[in-house]
Amino acid sequence: MSKAAIQRLKERFPEAVTETYEGVGGDDVAVVRKESIRDVCRFLKEDPALRFDMAPYITAADYLGSEPRFDVVYQLYSTVHNHRIRLRVGVPADDAVVPTVATVWKGADWYERYCWDMYGIRFDGHPDPRRLYMYEEFEGHPLRKDYSLRGRQPLMPERHVDESFRGPGPAGRD
Amino acid sequence: MAKDIEKTVTQAAPANALEAPFPTKRMLLNLGPSHPAMHGTVRAVVELDGENIRSMKLDIGFLHRGFEKSCENVTWTQVFPYTDRLNYVSSIMNNVGYALAVEKLCKLEIPERAQYLRVITSELHRICDHLTLVGAMGLELGAMTILIYTMEGRDLVWDRLTEICGARLTSNYARIGGVARDMPDGWREKVEKTLDQVAELREEVGKLLNRNRIVIDRLQGTGAISREEAIDFGYTGPCLRATGEPYDVRKASPYLVYDRLDFDVPVGSRGDNFDRYLIRMEELKQSDRIVRQCFEQMQPGEIVVEDYRYVLPPKPEVYGTIEGAMAHFKMVMEGIKVPPGEAYSYTEAANGELGFYLVSDGGGRPYKIGVRAPGWNMLMGLPRMLQGKLLADLIPTFDTINMIGGEVEQ
Amino acid sequence: MAEETKPTAPAAAAPKPAPPPGPPPPRNPGFVTFTIDGREAVVKPGTNLVEAARSVGIDIPFYCYHKRLSIAANCRMCLVEMSNAPGGKLMPACQMTAAEGVAVRTDTPRVKDQQRATLEFLLLNHPVDCPICDQSGECKLQDYYMQFDHLRSRLEMPKVEMRKRVVLGPLVVLDEERCILCTRCVRFMREIAGNPQLGVERRGNHSYISTFHGQELDDPYSGNVVDLCPVGALTSTDFRFRGRVWFLSSARSVCTDCARGCNVFLDYMRETTFRYRPRENDAVNQDWICDQGRLSYKRFNEGRVLKARLGRGSSRAVPRAEAVAEAARVLRARAAEGKLALLLSPAASLEDLLAAAAVGRDALKVTEAYVGGRPDGRQDAFLKRADENPDRRGLELVASAFGFPLRPFAELARAVEAGTVQAVWAVGAEVPEAAAAAAVARVPDLVVQATNAGDLAAAATVLLPASPAPESDGTFVNFEGRAQRFEMAYWPRGDSRPHWALAGELGRALGLVARWPTARSVHEDLGRRVADRLGDFRWDSLPAVDRRKGLVPPAAGTVDGRLPGHRERVPLDGSGNVIWDRLSQP
Repeated sequence: MSKAAIQRLKERFPEAVTETYEGVGGDDVAVVRKESIRDVCRFLKEDPALRFDMAPYITAADYLGSEPRFDVVYQLYSTVHNHRIRLRVGVPADDAVVPTVATVWKGADWYERYCWDMYGIRFDGHPDPRRLYMYEEFEGHPLRKDYSLRGRQPLMPERHVDESFRGPGPAGRD
Repeated sequence: MAKDIEKTVTQAAPANALEAPFPTKRMLLNLGPSHPAMHGTVRAVVELDGENIRSMKLDIGFLHRGFEKSCENVTWTQVFPYTDRLNYVSSIMNNVGYALAVEKLCKLEIPERAQYLRVITSELHRICDHLTLVGAMGLELGAMTILIYTMEGRDLVWDRLTEICGARLTSNYARIGGVARDMPDGWREKVEKTLDQVAELREEVGKLLNRNRIVIDRLQGTGAISREEAIDFGYTGPCLRATGEPYDVRKASPYLVYDRLDFDVPVGSRGDNFDRYLIRMEELKQSDRIVRQCFEQMQPGEIVVEDYRYVLPPKPEVYGTIEGAMAHFKMVMEGIKVPPGEAYSYTEAANGELGFYLVSDGGGRPYKIGVRAPGWNMLMGLPRMLQGKLLADLIPTFDTINMIGGEVEQ
Repeated sequence: MAEETKPTAPAAAAPKPAPPPGPPPPRNPGFVTFTIDGREAVVKPGTNLVEAARSVGIDIPFYCYHKRLSIAANCRMCLVEMSNAPGGKLMPACQMTAAEGVAVRTDTPRVKDQQRATLEFLLLNHPVDCPICDQSGECKLQDYYMQFDHLRSRLEMPKVEMRKRVVLGPLVVLDEERCILCTRCVRFMREIAGNPQLGVERRGNHSYISTFHGQELDDPYSGNVVDLCPVGALTSTDFRFRGRVWFLSSARSVCTDCARGCNVFLDYMRETTFRYRPRENDAVNQDWICDQGRLSYKRFNEGRVLKARLGRGSSRAVPRAEAVAEAARVLRARAAEGKLALLLSPAASLEDLLAAAAVGRDALKVTEAYVGGRPDGRQDAFLKRADENPDRRGLELVASAFGFPLRPFAELARAVEAGTVQAVWAVGAEVPEAAAAAAVARVPDLVVQATNAGDLAAAATVLLPASPAPESDGTFVNFEGRAQRFEMAYWPRGDSRPHWALAGELGRALGLVARWPTARSVHEDLGRRVADRLGDFRWDSLPAVDRRKGLVPPAAGTVDGRLPGHRERVPLDGSGNVIWDRLSQP
């Protein structure tokens, strides 16, 4: 059934979908240009024959040494038709910006923050582009292949957090 | 300002004191990472207006241990102990999920007995996971007896799992190509007896909670989310089924031997905490059914694929024959050579769809492992579920979404 | 007699049939075009199938074949299906040459079963030695077993027992049980080394490799049989049990023991060099190195000068900066008097010499250089040169580029004795004659940059610790004028720094502004002066370490970015360049 989905996608976006193939175990994969990913995703979500209403997993991979360096991978699932599809978007290292799909599925929000945190891929239009796991002052992007395993991070001065409220009581001193 | 308040209060007649405007200001409450209710170190900064939550911001990453980066530096088989520590209350399901992903890439068909054993142990761990959730939920609602009952049930199951895997919590049971060990003699009878005991405890807990006034008041109607929003957020598992969407990977795309087993999938309707709790109680019954059926259907046989490219040879052969020595040597030192490619494989863990996205470059170590943690999406949707609700609703909601820190923060 | 009729010609003799049509002309004239596994290969006539398959990216397994040795075809591992095989037999790919239009298949079930069966036979009597065998981790039996056999053993009787530790010669030990009798060693000694010291004794199942009675394997190239042996039968006494190969990382280096500069892989772990293995270079050393060069890595580990010292005969270590400052003071003073001599060693790399010459001329106004170096050794007809310094031509190039006439070491000894030279700055402490060295060692001020302890280093008034080849990038120019890059394996040990870095520190202490943070910058800055004499040499003939493909996760602390526990076999093409696409294959 996903083959029909890939077919439909290719017909609708002939220049955005650069390659389609069937991967290991029957996974159907389409390679999409990064500029069109938001339109492609919106189409995939809203088209009644496809209805990919859930994006269970969005991640990235670092293929250091090949061009394009990064690959953002979108796994999509349709609860209506029970089919899956995988989209891959090639992202070059010097232009690591991809249009966000957080406006298409709310669930893509944190996945894109994770891609930024771990790989350094920016998402254009993301509502909350902060790091997810690491603290903001962290230097580097850990899952990149050239991130050193035995390096050290610089020590940070303690951040002054004035957004916590210390109410009256023994812990606070107000 | 204080003087004005005094004046207002003393000036108003005592009859109106209760209706006098009470000055409030928004308060930011930090439910810090070290908090008994924040399962697995999540920091929630909650903006309160009185007792209503106006908005909530989540700060995660305190338990991030670099699972994905660590796995890139060890062989494919050495990843199993890492996967144990993802969802640490139901670790066999992580092992099995990862093993299925690697077997998908290697195009391996594992023997039937191994499949049954994987299903049995996975369901036993699902029982453990649900018992833990119900216990923690009860504890946080103030019903501490529930915790004691469910912990007893969980301990009984862990005894059985110790007999088969060697460990209660971090099982490291699945291998690429099958499972690590066959079940010991007499295990079937013991497991069935344990299941009976767990069923008793389950009934007790149900009697205590299902019609309990306090529980119903606190759980029913709280933490609700609509079906469309849940799907949009990417909810899966019991939390999604509570909203009315009957999606279960075991039924939608069956793996292992689930297509031969007869079990029901409970589906809720309101998407609130009570439905999520009830679904989990019902799933305890269904897992019990599954385990018993597996024991009926299981036949004696091999527990690993007979292929020395993926599976360590038995020790007498390793010490006695050169083939065994070489195979053992190459697999331990260099790792299994998984053909290059990528694969995404998903199973129904206790919490939802647990997915593993693997990229292999043909070598003995993974090039990339990505974990799709089921609890991630529910945690993402938490601020939405609690918007405008009471602070007291946060606790049971946080409980019933069953966010396990280990898998969300890897 | 009856009437004899002349024998008549056979009646109605058919006209002679036309000769069969000749073979069609080749598709590519001058080449042979055929298919392997469906892929088209176009190769020169006479190319055997193993090489032809490799040219299209197909690896046919083999044990006894070696592209520089004669064909033995006795291991039977490379058997493939050929469409022109007589009787449909499987033919050895190492022996068969390609013919026009032939279809070769290496992936049919028959070939696969043959490979499996050959391995099974080879392994029948193979001892269970993996835990104690040096070849583990680089053993062809292990690799091919996992690829082609991976089934359990069917042997139900004890294996044949033979002698386990036969010392064939000073460098080579034979384990007869592990030997698969591929005879690569025999053929090598006979054909390449030209000294047939090995042979196969007895016949059939009782055969074993042996030297001739009363003789040992003492040829100066005997170490190469250890590299050639595909299994762990021939092991090097020097490397035996010293380390597991998967802990070792490899750097591409050049042997520093004579002027030929054979290309080698320098295997190291953390800061210790464990061994040399030859690296293929058709033009220089093909696939071989001599035994003396093979063992020459030891000077990188032992007898090193790692701390700076001040004062002749002193044993107190001082910080290098202090020693450099003192050296600068002394050299500046002596240079002003005109009594300074610059002693350059032809064992230092081109970059070392360029930096030293630049500092010598610009800061110290030196006008000539004396030549040190190791004394001459043995020369043979194959690889070894008498001149045991790797960079004499480089030294000559540098001297001519900077306009320094080169003076022999004996002249320096005379000048010191006469008193016209009162200070010597020695870049490299190798000296060609002991007596002259003793004379030079009596000079009042002796600033020595030394890698290893020796007479000159012991007599230094300021001793600066220097780093040898594995601890720096650089270039050696061999006796043919060929410039060859070597790459850094590990960071300089202790306080030592490469000669070019020490020269840079001295230069800065003397007031120069040139900064050379890497050897590459020295080459780019100063190498321009000699670039025209280096032919088509490019610094990037070895791809830079930081651009290595990230299939192996990099780690801080090792220069090549590899963790121990993963041995990378770098696939190289003929000119020593990494074949990036094949980096992921085992």
